[in-house]
Amino acid sequence: MMLIEILEQVLNGLLAGAYYLLIALGLTLIFSLGGLVNLAHGAFYALGAYFAVKLADTLGFAGVLVVSPLAVALIGLIVERLLFRRFYREDPALGLLLTFGLALVAEQALRWIFGAAPIPFSIPPALKGQVLVGDFIYSKYRLLMLVIAAAAVAGLWLLLRRTPFGRVVRAGVQNPDMVAALGISLAPYMASVVALAVALAALAGVLLAPISGVHPAMGTDILTASFVVVVIGGLGSFWGVVWAALIVGVVRGLTVYFFPPAAEASMYVLMLLVLLFRPRGLFGERIQRFE
Amino acid sequence: MSLLRSPLAIAGLVCAVLPFALLAGGLTLTSATDVVIFAIACMALNLLVGHTGLVSFGHGAWFGLGAYAAALAQRHWFAASVAWPALFALGFLLVASVLVGFLVLRRRGVYFSLLTLAFSALTYAVAFRWTAFTGGENGLGGVTRAIWLGVDLENPWVFYAIVAAFGLLVVHALARFHASPIGSVLLAIRENEQRAQFIGYATQRYKQIAYAASATLTGFAGILFAFHHRFASADPTSISSSGELLAMVIIGGMRSLLGPALGALFYILFREYLSIWTANWLLFFGLLFVAFVVFSPTGLVGVWRRLTTPLRPRVVEAAAMAGRAIEHGLPLPAFLLPAARPAGTLLEARGLAKAFGGIRAVEEASLAVADRTLHALIGPNGAGKTTLFNLVSGMFIPDRGRVVLDGRDITGEAPHRIVAAGLARSFQITNLFPALSVAENLRLAVQARDRSHFDGWTPTAAIEPVLERTRELIGFLGLTGIDQAEAGALSYGGQRLLDMGLALASAPRALLLDEPLAGLAAAERERVASLVKRISRDIPVLLVEHDIDRVFALADRVTVMNEGRVLVDGTADDARNSRAVQEIYIGAGTAALVAGAQSHAGRGTGPELLRLDLVDAYYGKSHILQRASLVAHEQEIVALLGRNGAGKSTLLKTIIGIVRADGGSIRLGGEELAGRPAAAIARMGVGYVPQGRGLFAGMSVRDNLELGRLRRAKSAGLAWSEDKILEFFPRLQSRLDTPADFLSGGEQQMVAVARALSGHVRVLLLDEPFEGLAPAVIEELFEVFDKLRSEVTIIIVEHNLDLVLALANQAYVLERGSVVYEGAASELRENVDLRRRVLWM
Repeated sequence: MMLIEILEQVLNGLLAGAYYLLIALGLTLIFSLGGLVNLAHGAFYALGAYFAVKLADTLGFAGVLVVSPLAVALIGLIVERLLFRRFYREDPALGLLLTFGLALVAEQALRWIFGAAPIPFSIPPALKGQVLVGDFIYSKYRLLMLVIAAAAVAGLWLLLRRTPFGRVVRAGVQNPDMVAALGISLAPYMASVVALAVALAALAGVLLAPISGVHPAMGTDILTASFVVVVIGGLGSFWGVVWAALIVGVVRGLTVYFFPPAAEASMYVLMLLVLLFRPRGLFGERIQRFE
Repeated sequence: MSLLRSPLAIAGLVCAVLPFALLAGGLTLTSATDVVIFAIACMALNLLVGHTGLVSFGHGAWFGLGAYAAALAQRHWFAASVAWPALFALGFLLVASVLVGFLVLRRRGVYFSLLTLAFSALTYAVAFRWTAFTGGENGLGGVTRAIWLGVDLENPWVFYAIVAAFGLLVVHALARFHASPIGSVLLAIRENEQRAQFIGYATQRYKQIAYAASATLTGFAGILFAFHHRFASADPTSISSSGELLAMVIIGGMRSLLGPALGALFYILFREYLSIWTANWLLFFGLLFVAFVVFSPTGLVGVWRRLTTPLRPRVVEAAAMAGRAIEHGLPLPAFLLPAARPAGTLLEARGLAKAFGGIRAVEEASLAVADRTLHALIGPNGAGKTTLFNLVSGMFIPDRGRVVLDGRDITGEAPHRIVAAGLARSFQITNLFPALSVAENLRLAVQARDRSHFDGWTPTAAIEPVLERTRELIGFLGLTGIDQAEAGALSYGGQRLLDMGLALASAPRALLLDEPLAGLAAAERERVASLVKRISRDIPVLLVEHDIDRVFALADRVTVMNEGRVLVDGTADDARNSRAVQEIYIGAGTAALVAGAQSHAGRGTGPELLRLDLVDAYYGKSHILQRASLVAHEQEIVALLGRNGAGKSTLLKTIIGIVRADGGSIRLGGEELAGRPAAAIARMGVGYVPQGRGLFAGMSVRDNLELGRLRRAKSAGLAWSEDKILEFFPRLQSRLDTPADFLSGGEQQMVAVARALSGHVRVLLLDEPFEGLAPAVIEELFEVFDKLRSEVTIIIVEHNLDLVLALANQAYVLERGSVVYEGAASELRENVDLRRRVLWM
């Protein structure tokens, strides 16, 4: 019985880790290709959730699952074109300040438009209920979330590995000058990467909305957790981030079972240990290729 | 007058007027106190952000922790007291900030910022959740101010006066700190942390001091805040509060001491007035913040300075080297003279080896530099000279071997320790503190070896011994007259000289100079060379230099490296007369190494395809190409020759557009290339194979080729289809699915060439295509290039002269960025005397 409870908590932890991962992968993609750490990434996640809440009545859950990320990607494209583009080759500190400012603006704008109070958003009735595997009971909706997150990560990986688009992006991460010397202009790829990254964040926002609630500060909350993942795994490393997210998730799940009050703090402790013993992160800081 | 302009006087005046001005504007005394409290916090935060260049997103946490510490201390241990809780809180902040600083400073750059963000999030989570201790959502109320030293602090005017007094104290202390040796090192870290290490500073310690001081002071503002509002809560520790502090700093102006205080005033006014109209004033504040980051990152102070600049005379009019007072033949300043003068070897490298990835840059390199000698290290590109330099100076840690200085083993020590042991270096790519003056650059380097370098209170302007030595050094280097110019505004020659001066300033026992003459004009080379010679009479100099004429004329001893090993180690004559050395530079002049190579006399038969007219190009301030002109016809191979650093690779990069052409024109079949981005030029039919090949690791050969074709295959049929490419490189057929980085060197080179050809390519640029390949592979590639001649025009840079002259139709020789010889390749191939004249010395 105890084993099953631990398993359930670990699965919950992995679920949290998987969603930190969706945010962290977007961050690391934008950073690898553009050299910009997007502190406003959480804002796109929150935006995704708000779109879902507001459009769910007309479009249904399946509808917002598609429409919300698309709408957010469109906004991402505009922000990239107007603001991000000026900062790719600038001092990274300026990029941090810019995106931090944007995050601040987005949070306040959400507060202004939708109010400070959390907006309830419930799991669609079709997905309520439990799944039973022997003695093991698990929420149907959470299982679906886990599947979608895993599919998104796998899809991203396939996109980067198996398509010309992904190869240009990976080549651009390695050697942008060489890519240009082959006649490929990276600007449209950069814009697409931003759109893709914020769409992933929005997808995470839609799916997590019924569980974590929809409120203006939700972006900042998940963003800090994702940064912990990124600090452990390393910006610019696909698998580094994946491993870090899984480890954070499992540790979180175990802490919830054995010492619940420290659940929130567990990942920070993990980060502390990594900083003490592997100051450059688990997988190093300088990763030459994006894998 | 200057007293009135001092930050303290301005701050004092503002503090005196502030409450009355705000009251007159319909605000309260509470707002005035808030302004001063936030001003303290922002100035403290700016010590990190603007002064040291470390952007902290988590200083709200310190503000909040200060408030909590004071409130909790009063509640649990020091009821009704004000001073004791405040002192306790300060002590707590100091200890905590040292510990946290140690952790977050383990990572640099953006990671540091992310860690501070995480720290803030963690603090908020704990403060918000640990309700029993912190009061959670409601916060901790009931903080009292009571009577302190007979003064009733409950009186808001009295409290304002005390806060203002503390504010002025902070301004004074920060002004002193900024002007002190430690403050000057923090500026140096902001400008160029690596160089700060290489002039002898343990930068990590300075950063830790800055972090602790900044955090503690911000926390002190939090303590005042707790007493002011009589409560402490989790709010200030939230990330958005940290953001507000940062926004105040940026909006006010991070490049000035009082700028952040102005930002705090602006914030309070904005909040008080705008919140009358809307509850969402923070939204507009955020928008303003973003606008400042985009349009004026130096804030209101920066805007003001820009508006008033035309009204003020510029301090530095001309940074031209012409403004210098040159005093020839000054002796080395006394403080640079070594105390002891041992005979014999002073600096020794024993069997050093270093590999990067699989490439062995240096294997088994040994050399010994005797005291009071000028020892030159020469060799062709890729010989491993700079790597050896970096191993000796502590930039890289060697895989094997030892470095011994004056009997002491310094292998693998941190750069600042190596400087302390008496070894200093200059850099090949100019490496200065660009926003600081020439004098300040040198003063920092002198200060590193002075006792005062860890002083946080005495103004640097009052430390006479350091200033005196700096002046002597400025005179010796011939920089008098431009010593107040900004280092970044100097001419290239001036920057090179200053770079050398920085190394010299730390009074080393041995000096490493990395190409001090590169890129200098003729007269300047003469001067700097004689300066180096003069230095070497007292301090031994190890010199890497491409100008071999100069080296042979000056050096007491010469070490020649090739392919990671020492080839010759002896006197200048030994090196000059060595056949092996000559062969590296001008080839053997024997018959072509490659069987089947036939002579290509002069120009190809096709019409003109590519024409460069008087092209100039720069790297930063370094003028690499100077009015270079070149013509290439269809169906021919053009060889670019010349020594290292002559500008050959840059010429190729300028054609493809990776380096911007700053003057002149580059025409391909009548169309102008200059000024277009690289991608556009590549699409017009230029293929480029860089030195080192530039293959994309982890991707198969097929994928690499596909990337070459992706944007260059025009609709009108493929000029270079995969099939056609495989005709030229049949070996790649069976390798199509192998990752490119798993191939042998020769196969990799083939992939790189094949990729450059994929698509519509008319001109192929090859940079050192034979480098590091085995003879059999060279022969194979040679034949491929020979065959390709009938398809595309090839411009090739190659240091193996026998090989490239056997291949090419036409040869151009570059020297310092200009074409100094042009002629049929066959002439240079056959006439070794001509070759020696043009390419040797």
